[in-house]
Amino acid sequence: MPRMWWVMGVLAVAAVLSAYLAWTAHRVERVHVRAASAGRALDAHLLRRAAAAAVVAENTDFVELYAAARLALDAEPDEREAAENDLTRQLRTVRLTGADPASRTLVATSRRVVLARQVHTDLVRDALTARRRPLVRLLRMARHYERPRYFEIVEPDLPEPLTVTPRPAPEPPVPVST
Amino acid sequence: MRIGIVSPYSFDVPGGVQNHIVDLAEALIALGHEVSVLAPADEDAELPPYVVAAGRAMPLPYNGSVARIAFGPVSTARVRRWLARGAFDVLHVHEPLTLSLSLLAVLSARGPVVATFHTAMVRSRALAAAQGFLQPVVEKITARIAVSELARKVQVEHIGGGAVEIPNGVAVAKFATAEPLPGWPGQGGALGFLGRFTESRKGFELLRTAFVTLARERPGLRLLVAGPGDRDDLYAGIPAELHPRVEFLGLVSEPDKARMLRSVDVYVAPNTGGESFGMILTEAMAAGATIAASDLDAFRRVLDGGRAGALFPTGDTAALTGLLGELLDDPGRRHELAAAARTAVEAYDWPSVANRVLEVYATAIEATDGRVFDEEWAEPRSGS
Repeated sequence: MPRMWWVMGVLAVAAVLSAYLAWTAHRVERVHVRAASAGRALDAHLLRRAAAAAVVAENTDFVELYAAARLALDAEPDEREAAENDLTRQLRTVRLTGADPASRTLVATSRRVVLARQVHTDLVRDALTARRRPLVRLLRMARHYERPRYFEIVEPDLPEPLTVTPRPAPEPPVPVST
Repeated sequence: MRIGIVSPYSFDVPGGVQNHIVDLAEALIALGHEVSVLAPADEDAELPPYVVAAGRAMPLPYNGSVARIAFGPVSTARVRRWLARGAFDVLHVHEPLTLSLSLLAVLSARGPVVATFHTAMVRSRALAAAQGFLQPVVEKITARIAVSELARKVQVEHIGGGAVEIPNGVAVAKFATAEPLPGWPGQGGALGFLGRFTESRKGFELLRTAFVTLARERPGLRLLVAGPGDRDDLYAGIPAELHPRVEFLGLVSEPDKARMLRSVDVYVAPNTGGESFGMILTEAMAAGATIAASDLDAFRRVLDGGRAGALFPTGDTAALTGLLGELLDDPGRRHELAAAARTAVEAYDWPSVANRVLEVYATAIEATDGRVFDEEWAEPRSGS
């Protein structure tokens, strides 16, 4: 019965195709949700960095740093990138010792900004790659999601982490008398 | 934090990745986190309490050596069960682009995934060819870690995107407190070398030539060698009268490695290339040895630009001989270098490294579900 084989074949192809479409739609959803989450996380860390910088600036009477931190905190979305870059530039002139809690917080938040930016950039790239795929474009699978956008700031410096557990220096091996 | 770590390689055989995973897991546990490690292993294998066996591993030639890995439907089922039972806040896989448990875990994962890349192949045709197929895997990885600059470059070139560079850690305390071998370093000076002395890129020939030259002028000078290889191959290039002054330990265990590094005045790393990070250097630094190393990029970085160890032009036997002579004659300089090395190695101590890994975990979790940790993110959160 060749006709039945035809029907079976068409049904099988349809099943595989719809599974593939569902899987692709799920992938598109996931990359967009993640890029959005990463964007929110980056935003939160930038705000924390600016707040920590403002506290350090107040403690050290560093007027330029305070101004940059305030501008970053209050910036409108379209001025945000420039304001964060200014803050990064000001922070480069500060030597953080980690002696007081405020500067420790600033080191920790600055590190998290670098990591969050890295992850955000990667996830945005994944989302944009997914949007460019022919099938996704053809079926306009990404139409419900806002097009993710890179947050274009200069790479902030990654300060060295503050030492966690200071330990006494070990004894050197017995020196040889020569 | 509840952390699930996946090892692609079996713990039955020693290896860099396996050691890394064990040390990381223990450091994380010491910091108060809940850790479960999934690894290919027989059910009855002796394993640390935090390791879950995922069944027998199959030997498979990979990247020039034989890796024992697990892959297939049975492994898939076990990975899924482990993930479901673990309810991890973050899943940390190692070498996710090999056919292994790591790849299976990434495919089955729903939450945040952190991946660590160890391999520093300069070009991998297999990876380049598989790029399209790997995109769904790469897409599920939230944050990436590379253990060296070279591993990061390979990662960036092959699969795009960046990676956070976090070096291999070293258990400083284990190395710093090891007991030197009886009779070492002795009075006449002792040089040390650890590694595959038959492999030319490890540069043992340079050290052998330098030792033969120096030993003729210095009657007490001895050489301590450890590493896999044949005893006869080691002694073949050394004049017979110097044989009693060369001690060969063979392949050493981790504790013996620490003792060996504590037993020498100068640890020599004459590598001529191919070393992606220089793990052995951080171990020698932790052991308080003075280091003489080739001026490779990776070594220079680890040795703080030459402040934590003396550098010589790569492949230059005469320069190495001269440098070793100087160091052997100058205990003050040796002391200075060793002290600088002990300070520099703090950054590579496992608690420090584990904290940097935790920062990446937090970033990955935030990027997956939008939770943002407050100041105390490193503490286990209540209710999880």
